[in-house]
Amino acid sequence: MSHASVSSTARFGSLYWAIQAKRNIGVRGLFVVVLAFMVAYGFLFHGLFTGSGFAKFTQSWFPLALVAMAQAILMLTGGISLAIGALVSLGAVLAATTMTGPLGVAGGAALVSLVGLGIGAVTGVIVVKLRLPAIVVTLAGSFIIAGAALLVLPRPGGAIPPWLSDLLAGNTPAAFGVLVVVVLLWKLYLATPLGLSLYAAGENPVGAYRSGVPVDAARIAAYAISGLLCTGAGLFVAAQTGSGDPIIGNSFTLNSIAAAVLGGIGFLGGQGTMRGALAGSLLLSLMISVMFFLGFTPVAQYVAQGLIIIGAVAIPQFRMRAR
Amino acid sequence: MSIRDAAFLSRSRLLAIVTSRPFLTFAIVALVWIVASFVTRGFGAYGHLRYLVELAAVIGIVAAGQTFVVIAGGIDLSVAAIVTVAAVGLPLFAIDADPTGLTPILAVLAMTTAIGLVNGLGVALLRVHPMIMTLAMATFLQGLLIIIAGGSAVTAANPLVSWVGNARPFGIPAGILVWVVVSIVVLVVMHATPFGARLFAMGAGPLAAKLSGVPIASTTMAVYGISGFMSGLAGIIVLGMNGQGYVGIGDPYLLASIAAVVLGGTSILGGLGTYAGSIPGAILLVTITALITVVNASPGWRSILFGTLILALLLLSGREAARR
Repeated sequence: MSHASVSSTARFGSLYWAIQAKRNIGVRGLFVVVLAFMVAYGFLFHGLFTGSGFAKFTQSWFPLALVAMAQAILMLTGGISLAIGALVSLGAVLAATTMTGPLGVAGGAALVSLVGLGIGAVTGVIVVKLRLPAIVVTLAGSFIIAGAALLVLPRPGGAIPPWLSDLLAGNTPAAFGVLVVVVLLWKLYLATPLGLSLYAAGENPVGAYRSGVPVDAARIAAYAISGLLCTGAGLFVAAQTGSGDPIIGNSFTLNSIAAAVLGGIGFLGGQGTMRGALAGSLLLSLMISVMFFLGFTPVAQYVAQGLIIIGAVAIPQFRMRAR
Repeated sequence: MSIRDAAFLSRSRLLAIVTSRPFLTFAIVALVWIVASFVTRGFGAYGHLRYLVELAAVIGIVAAGQTFVVIAGGIDLSVAAIVTVAAVGLPLFAIDADPTGLTPILAVLAMTTAIGLVNGLGVALLRVHPMIMTLAMATFLQGLLIIIAGGSAVTAANPLVSWVGNARPFGIPAGILVWVVVSIVVLVVMHATPFGARLFAMGAGPLAAKLSGVPIASTTMAVYGISGFMSGLAGIIVLGMNGQGYVGIGDPYLLASIAAVVLGGTSILGGLGTYAGSIPGAILLVTITALITVVNASPGWRSILFGTLILALLLLSGREAARR
């Protein structure tokens, strides 16, 4: 009996890895590009391979990685959010106003997480249950959330306990460790019934609904998780800067979409993988760092960024058509 | 056809108009205006309402291009950047030999139309998703703007531009007159030409439209070209109204144009809608903003109120069909 079960686990294991390898096919080219940029960056910035250099680099990548994941979850279910930046700002100001107060660091972190989950869930309910287009709901929502951030902290200020800033944004690769944990949690989530429904709900909502997949619940859960990731990124940004700023997250909305799309996540839902989105965010982050080190002026950075994004999205399309 | 049939037909047509979304949005605007003018002193004054419509004209013109793009199944996130490019770039084209100031305007309109065509080229031929293409274009233009303006404001010494921004022939601001002309042309093109019919076909089902012989590539390019032209026109009017152009002058018009389109009942998914809805949508947006200013709240509360009101209005006009 034990013999049979061992061989079936072994077969199951090989099947698992075969499927995982298959999911890399679409993003293999991207991995090569990321690696090339990584090597280029390593040449430009020799400190990359020291402990603190690696820590600094992963810290500049970390918030972008989180918002790319936040956007990718939604896009996988066929949704999208234009409120990412506002949520990051809200997370940052909440962290900066509560963590030195009576709530303390643990209470502040809990509050930031709960607000992210709550706002995400409410957005999800509005989009899913009231059947309003996600792009417009999150557009209106971004005004509400940005307004709330302004109410919490009308102008840059607040404070983060210095030890927390040192821990998250100091010379230790703690941020990278957190990211690894987040990715492992994502793997775990994909194994739950809700996580399993995620792709089905995005790829073919009607078919999934008729097959008994909890489409609505999967989509609402995706919005809640997305909100949590955004406010978490806000907390980290606050720790990085040591204070809160009600508009600090603005650039994350567009960058999250760019990272997810660079990573091969489709707009129609159900297409793409989280590893792609993470690689996309890493590429975007590397691109900005490399251009900074090469002494590109901001103008050239904008121009190059625009061209690279279009190229990265258009070239696979051409290859698909040529096939 | 008997007289009774004709009466029935006209009544059902009347019912269709009254229950249509553009009419509904107009009704909301009228209701808000009437209530607000009772509650707030001076809101209902002719001058104030005329000022609101003048502000709405800019949003309405940007929304005209956005409506074309959205109905055709796309979205244009570069309108704000194009408005700014037009407003900041116009003084660059100033030619001393032309005292009327018409040449720079034509040059700017040609330039913004070309920018729109490049958007269309990327969407139609490179198959880049519209959101990414126009976003990347906005990023690109942002870089270009820093080269052009270098952070300082530019002043327009163009007689035609200041006429469009400030003149009031027959007591009506020139901006509103431009908007009226644009509206008529847009409505005719959208609902009474083969091009308009192709637009709706493409938005409703790109594959079906392609198989039925709709030239997808050229129609897509035309749509984004129109959006670029409209944003350029809006940029010129904004420059005339403000007297100065600066980086960021167009920023409010991205969200406003999308909100106006959606509030007017056009489906953000494409294939369904009309510019007749975006017109009251633009006026409604300006009215909401004005009312929130009257309330005299802090910027945070103002932003919250604005978002909540748009969300509430969406419930009236923006819902999708249920899944069966």
